[in-house]
Amino acid sequence: MSDLKETLKEQIIEQLNLEDLTPADIQNEAPLFGEGLGLDSIDALEFIVLLEQNYNIKISDPSEGKEIFQSVDSLAAYIEKHQ
Amino acid sequence: MRILGTCKIAESGVFVNGLARQFEVNEDWKKDLYASLNIEYPKFYKMDALAKMAFLGVELLESSCNFDDYSENEIALIFANRYSSYDTDQRFIESYTEKGSPGPSLFVYTLPNILTGELAIRKKWYGENIFFINEKFDAQFFIDQINFYFRKGSKACLCGWVDSANNQEECFLFLVENSIDEISIEELIKSYKQ
Repeated sequence: MSDLKETLKEQIIEQLNLEDLTPADIQNEAPLFGEGLGLDSIDALEFIVLLEQNYNIKISDPSEGKEIFQSVDSLAAYIEKHQ
Repeated sequence: MRILGTCKIAESGVFVNGLARQFEVNEDWKKDLYASLNIEYPKFYKMDALAKMAFLGVELLESSCNFDDYSENEIALIFANRYSSYDTDQRFIESYTEKGSPGPSLFVYTLPNILTGELAIRKKWYGENIFFINEKFDAQFFIDQINFYFRKGSKACLCGWVDSANNQEECFLFLVENSIDEISIEELIKSYKQ
């Protein structure tokens, strides 16, 4: 699980073009949206693409996104459950 | 009109009101300058190079200019560059030709005037804003635009030439206030070329 979280952090940086950040800058439990990394609805689309391209997971109900994309912890838990 | 402050960031260094700051403009200069300013604004990391440069330029300019002297709709933003959003356009093209899908977070920066939006959000400036594509920095053009916005009621104009293409980055900002003084084209060109 911890490997998955580290991989996810690298993928988030790559997918969202956050090249000035390193995985160490992203805390597992920190909110990704709003305060945390300051992400917004455009970035939610990037997360949908990330899940589809890297984990073959399709989010059919976009309203689920708010909970899934809350933090690296919640993203990793969702991936573990749906793979 | 009179110039209240200038900020220039180029390969030669960082200058505020013509005075050099102790700072090396290397490959990571935007990240390093952001860190040195002790700012907490996570959205900075998402911005493209143009928006980051304008953002940092304004933060530096703020050390010598008091933007609070103007209400939220009294500052007009007048920006220009030569290469539009070329760098981000290239990265966006790469996202769908090489990485498989168009990146929404890149797409939003495929217009250069997004940087004025980023400044407006950050500083809560809701006055006029415009972004021009010009072949080169044109002092007379800026003066004409400044006069236009002063006639429309703006009290100050934050102007900028912010460009990024082919590994060349350049950011020149200046704040101008409406007054009976005249600024000359030569004075403006001198500030730009410092």
